[in-house]
Amino acid sequence: MKKTDIGVCMVMYGVCAFFLYMTLQLPKAAQIYPLCVNALLAGLTTLHAINMIRSAIREGVTSGLEDFRDFLPSQFFTLFIMIVLYLALMPYIGFYPASFLFMTASLLFLRVKLWQILLAEIALFLLVYFAFTLFLEVRLPEGEIWYMLEAVE
Amino acid sequence: MMTETLSLMGNGFISALYPVNILAMIAGVTIGIVIGCLPGLSAAMGVALLLPMTFSMDASTGMIMLGAIYCGAIFGGSISAILIHTPGTPASAATAIEGYQMTLKGQAGKALGTACIASFFGGLLSCISLYFFAPLLGQLAMKFGSPEYFWLSIFGLTIIAGVSSKSMVKGLMSGALGLLLSTIGMDPMQGVKRFMFGQASLYEGINVTCALIGLFSMSQALVLAESKIRQRAKAAKFNDRMLLTKDELKEIAPTIGRSWIIGNLVGILPGAGASIACFMGYNTARQFSKHKELYGHGSYEGVAGSEAANNAVTGGSLIPMLTLGIPGESVTAVLMGGLIIQGLTPGPNLFVGDTAKMTYTFFAGFVLIQFFMLGIGLLGCRGFAQLARLSDAILIPSVTILCVVGSFAIHQNFVDVVIMLIFGVIGWLARKFGLNNAAIVLALILGPIGEKGLRRSLLLSGGDPRILFSTPVCWVLIALCILGILSPVLMDRMTAKTNHD
Repeated sequence: MKKTDIGVCMVMYGVCAFFLYMTLQLPKAAQIYPLCVNALLAGLTTLHAINMIRSAIREGVTSGLEDFRDFLPSQFFTLFIMIVLYLALMPYIGFYPASFLFMTASLLFLRVKLWQILLAEIALFLLVYFAFTLFLEVRLPEGEIWYMLEAVE
Repeated sequence: MMTETLSLMGNGFISALYPVNILAMIAGVTIGIVIGCLPGLSAAMGVALLLPMTFSMDASTGMIMLGAIYCGAIFGGSISAILIHTPGTPASAATAIEGYQMTLKGQAGKALGTACIASFFGGLLSCISLYFFAPLLGQLAMKFGSPEYFWLSIFGLTIIAGVSSKSMVKGLMSGALGLLLSTIGMDPMQGVKRFMFGQASLYEGINVTCALIGLFSMSQALVLAESKIRQRAKAAKFNDRMLLTKDELKEIAPTIGRSWIIGNLVGILPGAGASIACFMGYNTARQFSKHKELYGHGSYEGVAGSEAANNAVTGGSLIPMLTLGIPGESVTAVLMGGLIIQGLTPGPNLFVGDTAKMTYTFFAGFVLIQFFMLGIGLLGCRGFAQLARLSDAILIPSVTILCVVGSFAIHQNFVDVVIMLIFGVIGWLARKFGLNNAAIVLALILGPIGEKGLRRSLLLSGGDPRILFSTPVCWVLIALCILGILSPVLMDRMTAKTNHD
């Protein structure tokens, strides 16, 4: 048994509890199906917990951290925060400026050579522009800040 | 009936030859090969990422493009497997064994040529079963009512046990989680808002495309971001001839035939996939080979066995998805998302009326895709080989940006981007903790079908559950559900036998 599996069970029970609370707010007739599905998830999680206990008795307990042997927390979380910031910035400064900043920052962080960064950015933005802006006519976020600046002027 | 089918087939070929469809095939196959030859990117991920690009296309053109990406990616995996000993996709894992040995012997061109020709024949022959079985199964499914649809979705969900590679219980848990998430949105019978958190965009439930992009593409970017950026080996340069001689073609013909049957059956079987088929094709080729001593030292017969089998999966795997609306594995789940986006409901309705024209155009396109794959594969191998070296560092932000723009393009709504990111994190966590993304997606797709089937049946019978057991088809489907539950045991035995061989 892996200790990390305890976490999996806890999260699943948490999801069940949350959905149970939400289901009980619904009218009676609309409760039945979500309750059945919730009971199914809770039942399977319990079955998994029983399997875990059996496996712990039979084979002992491992930390489960062996699955994270190659995990580089500083690299992963820095990149993840960059993604979140990128999404947070996009409505304000627009898709293209936000994507340019995100791509430059993440590639510099990953120590990619400058000419490769430029080449990758040109290729990607051309692809997005032709495929989404011209072909699909998608209006990508333009950025509120530019409208505000225009209004001020 | 026969004349009608023949006419639909003929018209399908005429429509598939429209310039826009030809362009879609060329673009799809090229993009697919590029995605396939990049280690770390999978066929499902590629199809999910490019799904939004098919929104504005005609349904048949969109499906042809997605099918081309699928076939291209399965073949593309062999390029990096042969030249840098790193399979681009799991479907080419067996190809790397003999293919790389051939590269070391200075026969990289011949290995790539064999992979290309075997993939072509494997894919082309798989179209036969697509043409033959899909309409038959479609006709059978026309007789289904609400109780049968309920059992059909249960059958689809039991496949979850099959697609879960390590733990059946965890696979089923992933499915149950997907089912719970599929209840978000409007209640189909009572008209009550369920778990919408005040978001009007969740009125029709979680957008399956956003979930697909998040679970398969965004989570892949996060997987690449978590570990050290690897430097890829330099792709070997080659100058030898890629085309096979007549004698060589004759020699691999029986291998391709056997691998076609294997790949097709594996494709039709829900839960199995190209990664299993390639090893089965390779092992069968070795068992029947007259030159067993060459295996492990660079046998082009081995390359043909593996590549014909993995490409033969493509046509077979489309059959249950198109006829019954049951995607047996992740790529077909994503393709099903493509059909849903086009406003089509996978199932028997695809074979009647105007929709049948679209379906047969797609079938004809699927045949033509194989020819483009052969041409582009043979002509572009040298160029694609260089792309296989593209660093993960560049892929991480590029894939992220494409995920963002793809999910935004669906409704031009930023909430979809947030949902995509949430599913990306769920997908990454699921991979880290042994849960199954394909199972979550299958449940998200099949959940509403099952719910409607169950609740409509109970409404018709005045709440009497015996309606769910009222027809012989119901009992056949119940038997298939039991088989679905048992399938992991059978798969384990099959894999163990393959490994032992």
